[in-house]
Amino acid sequence: MITRCRPSLGTFVEISLPDGNEQAAEQAFAAIAHVHRRMSFHESGSDLARLRDATPGKQVKVDRETVAVLRMAIELHHATSGLFDVTIGRTLVRSGFLPRGETIRLDHFPGTTRDIEIVDTHHVRCHRPMLIDLGGIAKGHAVDRAVEVMRSCGVAEALVNAGGDLRAYGDRDWPVGLRDADGEVRYVVPARDCAIASSSNLDNRRRVRGRDESVHIGYGRKSVLADHRVTVVATTCIVADALTKVALADRVLAEQVAQQFDARLLETSSTGASN
Amino acid sequence: MSHRHWAHIVAVPVLAVVSAPAVATDYLTVEQAQHVLIPQAQGFAAFPVTLNPAQLQQIRRLSGVPQRTNQPRIWRATRGSATLGWVIIDEVIGKHEFITYATGISPDGHVLGVEILSYRESKGGQVRDPRWRDRFRGKTLADPFRLNQDIPNISGATLSSRNITDGVKRLLAIHNVALLHG
Repeated sequence: MITRCRPSLGTFVEISLPDGNEQAAEQAFAAIAHVHRRMSFHESGSDLARLRDATPGKQVKVDRETVAVLRMAIELHHATSGLFDVTIGRTLVRSGFLPRGETIRLDHFPGTTRDIEIVDTHHVRCHRPMLIDLGGIAKGHAVDRAVEVMRSCGVAEALVNAGGDLRAYGDRDWPVGLRDADGEVRYVVPARDCAIASSSNLDNRRRVRGRDESVHIGYGRKSVLADHRVTVVATTCIVADALTKVALADRVLAEQVAQQFDARLLETSSTGASN
Repeated sequence: MSHRHWAHIVAVPVLAVVSAPAVATDYLTVEQAQHVLIPQAQGFAAFPVTLNPAQLQQIRRLSGVPQRTNQPRIWRATRGSATLGWVIIDEVIGKHEFITYATGISPDGHVLGVEILSYRESKGGQVRDPRWRDRFRGKTLADPFRLNQDIPNISGATLSSRNITDGVKRLLAIHNVALLHG
């Protein structure tokens, strides 16, 4: 077994696969780098930058994969009655988690996921100006793509871990430690042919106008402060990641939606430091 | 879509949690990283450089990050007498982690690639209890991890690689002041 690690998607991406498959790992990393280039909030040439700069109502040509991720974002937006929303870029820029860049007036970007229209496999239309941040679901999608690439290369088993969002396949269990919000690993899961994503934000907060804020946005675009970890197991990593965000804001809703999406919340929540 | 309930996936409590030092993973040796970064090179020659105070200052100005050692670990990648690029091995310290990484830089100063060589965490749990390890080895793990067999893969809140991004900027600045016209 070999394990490679590269910085990508703003985090550390690890790929483990059997010896002799270095070329497949290389191709999987290339697929991940492609997602980073197209779906980064920060990169000026990304599809998200093009959507931000586009005239509302005008169709914009984007990568096929960006369309696929936005399609999933819209589906989740509906399934969660609007709680899951990828247009939280405005909120995250305001709280300082994302760079302001050229964006001068944040209230010029009022659009929500409801205002995104998928035209076809390569075109998207935003009916109001918006700041899209695909964040975790782009990472989840990148993991799924890496798995697809390795499968198509004939790699029998592999695990891809993008900074905590992971997916494993093959005829074996992969031991996966679950890191609690306080940094400790108290539970281990044998992962087999599934994706696992965890979220918490005890360690990643900013003080904004006298209040703690996190990267996780819930109802009313208010930030969710979670002293605990949530973990979701799913078929795909994009769904696993998205549902952790829903679960941080509304666990009951997340459990309902998880059933529709062939996913499950793991009951191992530990509160870490506070209890 | 197939309907799966993931009932077979059950989290097992870790029976003993030992704090620091925790996760330690080695991915590549220096030699392996050199070949991964610049595969067409025939040789990698150590290229000793001692940065003077003016150069250190310039690196800080260009990259916005201080260069701590005045003797960076640099190799020149060669094919015949041609220089194909440079490999610099560097370390960064984050909030909880200590990372050794290699960066390949083209002769004209473009990043050819970044590989993590090793990752050490100074905080967080370490799974050491032999009971669960045996459980995985004996019953479920066909091929135990060689490199990170004590610590499995970790699912958790996303780790930021921001310090690597800053580190690479700094290495490009080293290239600019010490290698570009060398």
